[in-house]
Amino acid sequence: MGNIWAIGKREFASFFNSPIAYFAITVFLIMVGGLFFGTGEFFEVGQATMRPFFEWVPLLFIFLLPAISMRLVAEEKRTGSLELLITMPIRDTEVVLGKLLGASLFLVVALGLTLAYPIAVSQLGPLDWGPVIGGYIGLLLLGLAYLSVGLMTSTWTRNQIVAFILALLVCGFLYYIDDMAGLLSDRAREIAAHMSFQAHFENVAKGVLDTRDVIFYLSVTAVAVTIGKFSLEARRWT
Amino acid sequence: MSSVIEVSGLRKFYGPFEALKGISFSVGTGEIVGFLGPNGAGKTTTMKILTGYISATAGSFSVAGHDGFTDSLELRRKIGYLPENAPLYPDMGIVEYLNFVCQIRKIPRSSRKSRIDKMVEVTGLTPMIRKNIGELSKGFRQRVGLAQAMIHEPPVLILDEPTSGLDPNQIVEIRNLIRDLGQERTIVLSTHNLPEVQMTCSRMIIISNGVKVADGTAEELEAQGSKEGRFIVAAKLNGSGPEGALEKLRALTGVTGADHFGTRGGAERFVVTTAGDSDVSEDIYSLASSSNWVLSELRRDVMDLEKIFHNLTQH
Repeated sequence: MGNIWAIGKREFASFFNSPIAYFAITVFLIMVGGLFFGTGEFFEVGQATMRPFFEWVPLLFIFLLPAISMRLVAEEKRTGSLELLITMPIRDTEVVLGKLLGASLFLVVALGLTLAYPIAVSQLGPLDWGPVIGGYIGLLLLGLAYLSVGLMTSTWTRNQIVAFILALLVCGFLYYIDDMAGLLSDRAREIAAHMSFQAHFENVAKGVLDTRDVIFYLSVTAVAVTIGKFSLEARRWT
Repeated sequence: MSSVIEVSGLRKFYGPFEALKGISFSVGTGEIVGFLGPNGAGKTTTMKILTGYISATAGSFSVAGHDGFTDSLELRRKIGYLPENAPLYPDMGIVEYLNFVCQIRKIPRSSRKSRIDKMVEVTGLTPMIRKNIGELSKGFRQRVGLAQAMIHEPPVLILDEPTSGLDPNQIVEIRNLIRDLGQERTIVLSTHNLPEVQMTCSRMIIISNGVKVADGTAEELEAQGSKEGRFIVAAKLNGSGPEGALEKLRALTGVTGADHFGTRGGAERFVVTTAGDSDVSEDIYSLASSSNWVLSELRRDVMDLEKIFHNLTQH
């Protein structure tokens, strides 16, 4: 546990040593604000709601979070520092979980900064905070799943850009898989919805945090982290 | 002398390529062993296996009594490792990085500061202490690498090419540092630089093409590799000519031949060859003092070792 925390802390601190983190957060916040207040949706509804926010952020996360997770392992592979880390008395699982923890702390900060929006909305009219809190928990879980996918693709390559693109593709595919299956038939859409980030976020965006959705995001996280751990371990045998 | 590293029949395949073809050796407590071989011989592969980064395809090894396969975490606690090119985190400060290593190495919080201070002092990092690792020169980065390898006071240090890429002054400094450290712990270091091994190590293991081709002290290898020994002698002869000196040298027991090969700084220079590994330096010394020569040089010819190395590793 101590090792996971040590790695997570180091990883989190190193985000802020690179301009990418600041750049990504800034772009993210500007886009959230632009889409939220700029598209007109918010003012058309005529009531204090965060619905548009929870509809847009999952899409923005598909770009933001892979940019955060891409360097986690790939960069250490490229510079060779992974060797030094792994030859310390530490389990491969701890390495992977520590990296995920560091990236998740970053996610918490990014989401924390968006709290400015619900606070602003609550000044305009009565805001029901229950669904907002549920939505934020949903976003954290969704983000955790995205980050795990990004961590996984980051263990596959020593090139950050490749890791970014792969994570983007996997997250985008899992987001739209129900829409894509829907092109075939309604039945296919129904089945694909079980594996879709988008379908699993519908209820969350409405402010309902369903156990099935929670379990889905945690399952994606577990699978991606496990694959990442095995691909890290594969260095031993190849 | 009890052995702290035991390696037996280590083999490693990278796909169809056999990088290690069954290597066995042992290293005793307090030894400084030089791992020597041309590029691609299997030095780095062996070190990566010993430190638990990759797994061997076959064979077994243990460090400080901990088996490499069943007890890898415990084994890694006993090792300090500096991989080739000291791959550290460039965006971290020196103290910040060493503190991170202390956390992973489970050094109690109360003794971290004193450990870090000690390492910084031993490795001569004090003037750089405020810098980020990325801003350091290669020599100083190497020192940070040594500091992180020793911070948990491991009985065994494994250093992959600790002096490669350094300038001559830095090489001397790092070498001295390693020699000082070697008084307290066992060190295995790899290099493809022969003089380095002779200057730093008590024993050398030469590998070539994934096979161990020699194992012993410099003297043993010389004796083993060549049927004759060579001594370089330089002396001011104080009147007598080089011809007379050659005759006297050839007359010594064990000497099979002597040649004069020039004059430098007023001293005549000779090469004396001997049969087997008999050491005639004492005889030459007493000959010189009884003949009233002023010796300026008397040594076994190190060129032989280079030839041996060359013979063993060429294919």
